[in-house]
Amino acid sequence: MNNNSISLETFEDVADSTDWLSTPLSGLAAVEAALRCQVCKDFYKTPMLTSCNHTFCSICIRRALSNDGKCPLCRASEQEMKLRSNWSMEEVVVAFTKTRSDVLLFAKTSQDTIAEPGKRKLGDTEDDDSASQRSGKRLRSSTRLSKSRSIEMTSEMARLEADVPHQDSTDFEPDDGLVACPICLQRMKPLQVDRHLDTSCPGEPQPERTPSKPSSRSTSIPNAFSSSSSPKKPPARTFERLPAVNYSMLKEPQLRKKLQEQGISAAGSRQMLEKRHKEWTTIWNANCDSQYPRRKGELLHDLDVWERTVGSRAPTNSRTISLGAQIKDKDFDGAAWAAKHDSSFKDLIANARRNKVLMGRKSSEDEKKGVDRTHGSSKDKGDEPTPQPDSEMIASLDHSEEPQEQVDSVTQATGIIDLTGEIASSNASAGELSDREDGAVDLDASSRTTTI
Amino acid sequence: MAQSTAHRRLLQEYKMLTNNPPDGITAGPVSEDDMLHWEALIQGPEGTPFEGGVFAAELKFPKDYPLAPPKMTFLGEVFHPNVYQSGLVCISILHPPGDDPNHYEHASERWSPIQSVEKILISVMSMLAEPNDESPANVEAAKMWRENRPEYERKVRESVRHMLGL
Ligand SMILES: [Zn+2]
Ligand SMILES: [Zn+2]
Ligand SMILES: [Zn+2]
Repeated sequence: MNNNSISLETFEDVADSTDWLSTPLSGLAAVEAALRCQVCKDFYKTPMLTSCNHTFCSICIRRALSNDGKCPLCRASEQEMKLRSNWSMEEVVVAFTKTRSDVLLFAKTSQDTIAEPGKRKLGDTEDDDSASQRSGKRLRSSTRLSKSRSIEMTSEMARLEADVPHQDSTDFEPDDGLVACPICLQRMKPLQVDRHLDTSCPGEPQPERTPSKPSSRSTSIPNAFSSSSSPKKPPARTFERLPAVNYSMLKEPQLRKKLQEQGISAAGSRQMLEKRHKEWTTIWNANCDSQYPRRKGELLHDLDVWERTVGSRAPTNSRTISLGAQIKDKDFDGAAWAAKHDSSFKDLIANARRNKVLMGRKSSEDEKKGVDRTHGSSKDKGDEPTPQPDSEMIASLDHSEEPQEQVDSVTQATGIIDLTGEIASSNASAGELSDREDGAVDLDASSRTTTI
Repeated sequence: MAQSTAHRRLLQEYKMLTNNPPDGITAGPVSEDDMLHWEALIQGPEGTPFEGGVFAAELKFPKDYPLAPPKMTFLGEVFHPNVYQSGLVCISILHPPGDDPNHYEHASERWSPIQSVEKILISVMSMLAEPNDESPANVEAAKMWRENRPEYERKVRESVRHMLGL
């Protein structure tokens, strides 16, 4: 596996449909948005159609359905077994992503050359500067990205991890009612596949069947199966989808046994076992949907990532939850973000003050009367929020355990600009509460809000 | 190394919000070390007593985001029927469907994995303009909003001015 060669995606590497907005081809933002999954916001990866005719990545819709059984878009009830592949969408995504960086580069350069002769620096400098600065940055990052791709991403697996769709899905699946054998790509009736896998499958892609397949395919697919060179039984069962499990019908030892049968960890609480089994089923079945299925070792890696970020080995302290330490990458321009936001905070505040002064002049008259009651004290931080009659009632609610320091008035004129400092200090209290912050409690906490 | 689904998705949203920020809204991760913790600034909507104010809030995302919604908490006093005294915001988009014992919220308004930080913040802006007093988080504010609107608006305007140090 070459996970190690795939660096973590960082802010600058993230391509988004809004990248077009600052170019003369801003209309492509909508085109690109239509090629992206609304759940992960990334380009469709193994797109699947629901019965309500919505499309999502296989893994996204499977995860959502195993969570609540509803289409995330229209909330129609849906079952995983009803999902169908949307190969046309996959083709469009492949074609678009293949040409995206070239077109974006072209759009940006054409803009630069148009802007160049005028060179009007005054007046609208702000916009010009930031636009060219941004485009410069992005160009740099996209070249870097494509360079690293050509070096590292030689295998099909790398392609999948990097979400760069394959160029060659065009000659897939003519509408003849036949399916391709996942191993040798020979086409046959669906009912024949199992028998074929057990008896006659040659164990690797057959060149005459796939005349235009690039080398990456023929090298990677056999790699995916250690037994590829021997024509004996390939792991046919690898491609069977796992059935949904009604966990409430399952005793804990049975559940552990199911996990063990799949070759995954059976450790942890009952709740963790269910979560893990669900996630594994999702990863597994999404892989079954893919035209380029990966081998089990890679799926186990995905499960391991899940285990470390969401599952039993996820950090309990939210500071480190996202394994953000991993994006220590210089590409995440923390300083720029701080600077950018510092100035936009200041702008917001300045505007607010200006407007408020004007407004205040108009309306201060009728408000004078009540001033004493509400903000009789204009003492600063440390003030309790205005005492309110229902405070006892509120205190009896679950939410009273929210750290009260946060009520402290960050939003006071002086406090607002060093907002980050304020938040940093509120992290301390978040840290103290960290033992409550496992996934289950998060869910409980958010559901609590509805019961009020 | 491990990069969770939540992390990737939030990077994507951050990029989107940076390239194309909605009017009156600023949001992003507090630090690159923790994508699950964001801060946001929302301008008080025009034509409401919150007009002119800038409200800071923090967003805490669950590990399984976007399956489950984040929690949003204002960092200063916001006197509003749908905001707890702790600052915690209580609106339907922040509630997953399925746990609504009162059935006062339409499922279509609730959290779904296709919702986003941007949609949350826009909803909160419109919540400031139009409180939902069917589900008050701040009973006093809800009562005042219902029964003594001028006093409610005066109190809000006063706190906005106080916030701006005027
Ligand atoms: Zn997706
Ligand atoms: Zn649907
Ligand atoms: Zn075969």
